[in-house]
Amino acid sequence: MSQVATTDSSIIGSIVEGFKKVTQDARHFQIAYLSLFLGYGIMKLNWEILPIEIFIILSTSVLTQFIWLKITGGKMSGLKSALITGLGICLILHSDSILTLSVAAVISISSKFLIKIKNKHLFNPNNFGIIISILIFQDAWISPGQWGSDAMFLFGISILGGFILFKVNRLETGLVFLGTLFALEYLRTVAYQGWEMDVLMHKFSSGTLLLFSFFMITDPMTTPNSRRSRIIWSIVLAGLTFFLSNWIQLYTAPIWVLFFMAPLTVLLDKIYPAKKFEWIKEKESPNNQISINN
Amino acid sequence: MKLRKVLVALLISSISITGFSFCGFYVAKADAKLFNKTSQVILVRDGDKTTVTMSNDFSGEVKDFAMVVPVPSVLKREDIRVVPGSLFTKLDAYSGPRLVEYYDQNPCYNYNDMIIETASSDRIPRMNKSTSVDNSNRKDYGVTIEAQYSVEEYDILILSAKESTGLKEWLIDNEYQIPVSAEEVLEPYIKNDMKFFVVKVNVEKLDEISGMGNVNKYIDDPGLKKVKNLRPLQITYTSPKFMLPIRLGMANANGDQDMIVYAFTREGRVECTNYRTTKIPTDKNVPLFVREKFGKFYVDLFEKAHMREDKEAIFLEYAWNIAPTFPGVKCDPCVGPPPIYSDFQQAGVDWAINQNNQAASDVFFTRLHVRYSRDTHPQDLLFHVTPNKEHFQARYILTNPATGDLSCDDGQKYCANLVKNRANELETLKDLTSWNTSQYADYVKEYYDKIEDKKILYEIDENNKKNFVIPVLPDETIKPNFGLKIIVLSSILALMLIVAMIRSARTYFFWFNRMPV
Repeated sequence: MSQVATTDSSIIGSIVEGFKKVTQDARHFQIAYLSLFLGYGIMKLNWEILPIEIFIILSTSVLTQFIWLKITGGKMSGLKSALITGLGICLILHSDSILTLSVAAVISISSKFLIKIKNKHLFNPNNFGIIISILIFQDAWISPGQWGSDAMFLFGISILGGFILFKVNRLETGLVFLGTLFALEYLRTVAYQGWEMDVLMHKFSSGTLLLFSFFMITDPMTTPNSRRSRIIWSIVLAGLTFFLSNWIQLYTAPIWVLFFMAPLTVLLDKIYPAKKFEWIKEKESPNNQISINN
Repeated sequence: MKLRKVLVALLISSISITGFSFCGFYVAKADAKLFNKTSQVILVRDGDKTTVTMSNDFSGEVKDFAMVVPVPSVLKREDIRVVPGSLFTKLDAYSGPRLVEYYDQNPCYNYNDMIIETASSDRIPRMNKSTSVDNSNRKDYGVTIEAQYSVEEYDILILSAKESTGLKEWLIDNEYQIPVSAEEVLEPYIKNDMKFFVVKVNVEKLDEISGMGNVNKYIDDPGLKKVKNLRPLQITYTSPKFMLPIRLGMANANGDQDMIVYAFTREGRVECTNYRTTKIPTDKNVPLFVREKFGKFYVDLFEKAHMREDKEAIFLEYAWNIAPTFPGVKCDPCVGPPPIYSDFQQAGVDWAINQNNQAASDVFFTRLHVRYSRDTHPQDLLFHVTPNKEHFQARYILTNPATGDLSCDDGQKYCANLVKNRANELETLKDLTSWNTSQYADYVKEYYDKIEDKKILYEIDENNKKNFVIPVLPDETIKPNFGLKIIVLSSILALMLIVAMIRSARTYFFWFNRMPV
């Protein structure tokens, strides 16, 4: 009897242990959420991405990461990041050509290994791959309207995204960005121009904007290290986004701003130095410093 | 994307059993006139330059006609044109949803006897809302007349205003009837530095142009004054703003309004950036009797699709590269003659022919159908041009059954399949339009009765079983910038190699230096 009980508790114990291990790494949540959004897009929003295309993009990402990890001797847990990058490409970038999307994935992943300052990659990999592909291949685009403005879905994105941000300690980045942008848009749209409140709410009930805020600009690896820098950084990002979308009519503004903001991250890290983010907190030997974040 | 087309083609040929090759016969179309309160707009976008043509479906006394359109800049005289109304009819006919017919061969004989039938769609008359006008004096309202033109039968003013109350008063005092709720909508446009393009009809000029001046002297018929065919107005401006101000139009209308946008670009499809753009259901096999009520069918189909997408999405009805020099078909089937040079020219597609009189190979035509209302579409429509060149058309397929004696074995099998296909067609119809299809049981029964041994209905047709299709990816070499993509890919591979070599060399030297001598 007691024998059975011990076995039972050891099974429960190992399940709990396993669960802890899974939940410890925020990337597992990101993978789950992004897959969920992709599923929602295909089932509910009639997106036209074929399973084979998703497969090719994801496997290209993972393969590229694998080769780079082999070359640089990084830890294989970095493959999770590749999956996130691949899912990001599926969610954001569109093209008639699967080759364009695959090359975008290769560029994204490779940018992490090639463009580094002080062992921290400069660009958000997704952002870099997407911008470069749009600029040079001329057959890729972003559809900012693709998410619609279904309130429940947007609420879902915000809650799930907020949870991840809380977990990676970047909640303030997303909130300051959205808050600043909202304040600026409120002043212009409602207070100055005199549109009704629902016009402003419609502007903000955009899945694209929320996805940018919760899953891209808040990437812990490419945001400044110290909290103070991140707040300054988010305000600048929101200000530029506001300017570009209202005066230059660039409706994918945040993604472009993020691209050109990369040098600011380096500058802010110099002014307010802080410890670099790590996906899994290292407990073992301190000399095991090789990038687990790849 | 090509893959999808191939799959669709396979699907069609399997359903129409012995259908002819991938071409059908156009029988009916659903045009923009089917929908109440429909406005039509042609948008031509080339870089920052936009040409907007607004259809004029006004009916009533011409002196009551007025139009106020917010525009981003003060237009010059040469930026305003009047184009023939037939342009809209042509574009609508060419790009509208279409019905295509396939004819089954009788498996008991070997002949093909095709009959082409035509049917017209039942049309629902369109309704109009009107605002009215007249010209007169001016005082200080904070309104500046930036420019004043007389373009054919139209008198045009470009106004700028300091605040909405002044503008509203100015419009009312000049006898432009402005709805009460218009003021709150005018304000944001003024603050957004927009100018107002204000139009009314010069009655004398219209009489002169139409040659009715003298006729009116002799015939005193009040009905004659109710003009129906005002010609469309076209404006061109350069601005990064690529949008349609729908909010002003909502000020005097309740409920849903429909708008068909015909957009032309060099690069590819136009899509909305602040609302979701999605495709209208297409390539569906529907029962034969839809031919007689295709108009109603499409109206109900649109209604249902609109509800399904939470009344918010904008529907793509047609997308094609229709440049005269573009190789390949431009529609399947074509519902009307494709636009020709003069149509492009009238629409404002000024790159259709270059200075050397050579035709362009890139005129991409997008037809969007927007159904909007104040509640669901608070923001004006913002658009962007994408490099998406995938072709699309809204098309519905009719299958004409084989005629003659079907008592042979193959004929019986054919009947069994037809019964199943017809039942499926009815279900598709129900799904698309919410029509009550139980009343159409006879449609299925017609061929059910021809089956002598009903058992064959349960036979599983090995040929009809869905085979697993190995996905074939489209040919990438014909896509733009193929070479560049390969170069980028190989450079990254080369970089991988270099990094790997540097690292191994480093390890080697490290090891070499530590070697005991």
